[in-house]
Amino acid sequence: MATVSFQNIKKSFGKTDIIHGISFDITDGEFVVLVGPSGCGKSTLLRMLAGLEEITGGEILIDDKVVNDLESKDRDIAMVFQSYALYPHMTVRDNMAFSLLLRKAPVEKTNERVAHAAKILNLEHLLHRFPRELSGGQRQRVAMGRAIVRDPKVFLFDEPLSNLDAKLRVAMRAEIKSLHQRLKTTTVYVTHDQIEAMTMADRIVVMQDGIIEQIGTPLDLFETRQFVCRPIHRLTLHERVERCFACER
Amino acid sequence: MKRITLKSVVTEAKLLLIGIPLLIWTLIPIYHMVLFSISPRDTATSGKLWPDHPTLQNFDFVFYQKHFYLDYFWIQMGNSLLIATAVGALTLMVSTCAAFAISRLKVPGGRTVMNLALFTYFIPAAFLAVPMYKTMGVYGLLNTQWALILAMVTIASPYCIWVLKQASDKLPYELDEAARMDGASPMQLFRLVYLPLMVPSLVAVGTYALLLAWNEYLYAFLLLSNDKDVTLSVALGNFLSADDSPWELLMTTGLIYALPPAAIYYTFKRYMVSGLTAGAVKS
Repeated sequence: MATVSFQNIKKSFGKTDIIHGISFDITDGEFVVLVGPSGCGKSTLLRMLAGLEEITGGEILIDDKVVNDLESKDRDIAMVFQSYALYPHMTVRDNMAFSLLLRKAPVEKTNERVAHAAKILNLEHLLHRFPRELSGGQRQRVAMGRAIVRDPKVFLFDEPLSNLDAKLRVAMRAEIKSLHQRLKTTTVYVTHDQIEAMTMADRIVVMQDGIIEQIGTPLDLFETRQFVCRPIHRLTLHERVERCFACER
Repeated sequence: MKRITLKSVVTEAKLLLIGIPLLIWTLIPIYHMVLFSISPRDTATSGKLWPDHPTLQNFDFVFYQKHFYLDYFWIQMGNSLLIATAVGALTLMVSTCAAFAISRLKVPGGRTVMNLALFTYFIPAAFLAVPMYKTMGVYGLLNTQWALILAMVTIASPYCIWVLKQASDKLPYELDEAARMDGASPMQLFRLVYLPLMVPSLVAVGTYALLLAWNEYLYAFLLLSNDKDVTLSVALGNFLSADDSPWELLMTTGLIYALPPAAIYYTFKRYMVSGLTAGAVKS
C-alpha cells in the first residue's frame, strides 16, 4: 500500500505535447480511475507511472519517493495489461511465479504466494494449463494473479476488461473491486468506459486532451456535472452518466 | 461434390502443363543419379532406363574408400558436417542477437545496420570470392576450416537477421513490458521469454544456414586446398578432373552427400515454411 503523487507531469513525443502538466495525489489504498476518450493521455500517464514511458517534465512520487529515474522493476508496482501479456510458453503457475523466479525467491515462498493468489482468484484447477487453453476471463484472472503474487505497493490496470464480452465485463468488474476491498492496495485503473469508472472508483479523474477536467468521487462528479451541463430531462441513469462525461463547458 | 465445369478443367490442365514438366525436371537428375549409383561401371552409360544387373557395389566402393578419389571420403564428409553445423550454430547466434537488439531493444541505428547488411546481397557472392580470399590471407586463416566457416556466416547472416527481425516484430511488445515489470534484465528477457517464443524461426534459420554451407562449392574450393581439409562438395568436383572419371562413383557419392540435407529438411519441413514466413503478413 502506498501513496502516489503526480506533480506537474508533462509528456511530449517529439514536438507534440500529449500531457500538459497534470498534478493530483492518490491516497494510500485508494482506487482511482482515469477515464476519458481515446487519445486523452490516460494510458500514457499510467505507463509513465509504470516506468514504461519516459517522463518529459514533472515528478512522480510513490510513498514520497521520486521514481522518475527508477526502472519499472524497482518501483514495486504491478501492472495488468489490456491484452493480458501472458507468456504463451509458460503454464499459469509459471506465469504467476515468473517475477519471483527472477528475484531468486525461495521455492517455498514462491509456492505459497502462487497458491494464495490462485485461491483468491479461483485458479487452483488451472495452474498447469497454458494461456492458449484458457478463456478470456481466465486469462484476465491469471494476469491479475501475476500482479498479486508480486505483493506490490500499487496495482495498475490498463483497460483490462476491454477485450471481454459485456456479460463477462460486468462479472470481472465486481471481481476486481472485491479484490481491491480485500487487499486494500492502492490501485490506478484506466478505462474509457464511464460505467466502469462510476461503479468501481473511489475517485474518478476525468481527462481530455492531456489535461484533467475534473476529479471527484463518482457521486460528486455525477451531481456536479448535472448542474454544469445543460439541463437533463427524463434521461435513464445510463444516459445521464454518458451525458455527464460528454459535457462540453 | 465439386461441380466440374469447363473453366475448372482448363485451370487444372494449365496447372498440370506447368507442374508435370517441373516435376520431371526435378526428378530426372535424381533418377539419373540413382541409376548410375546402382549400375556396374561398364554398363553405367549404356543409356538404359534401368540396369540389367542392379548392384550396390558402388556404395561398397564409396563407404570403404576403394578408389583414390575417395581416399578421404569419411574425413571430407566429417568436414562438411563440421563446417555446416558450425556455420548453422554461429549464424544462429549472430542473427538471433542482432534481431533481438534491433527488434526488441530498439537499439539506435539497428535498422540501418540491418539494411546495410542486406545491401551486401547486391554484390554476387562470386564477386566477393577474391576479396574474401585476400582477407582470409591477411588474417592467416587460409587453408583452415575457420576461413570457410566465417565466410559462410558472413554470407548467411544478413538474410537470417532479416528473417528473425520480421519474426520478432510479430511478438507482442507487451510481453517485453510485462517481463520488465516482473524484473527481467535484457539477458533474462532474451533467454526466458524471447528465445522460447522464437523456436520455429530459429529452427528455420539454422537449417537454412546449415544447408547453405553444406551445398557451398566456390568458397570451399577457394579457401581450402588440402585434401584432408576440403568438404565433400569440393571432393566431388575433383572427380571431373580426368577424362575417364568413374561416373558411377561420382553419382553414388553425390547421392550419399544429398541424403543428410534431405533428412534434415524433411525433419524440419514444418518449421521451414512457418519459420521463414513468420512476420511476413500483419495479423
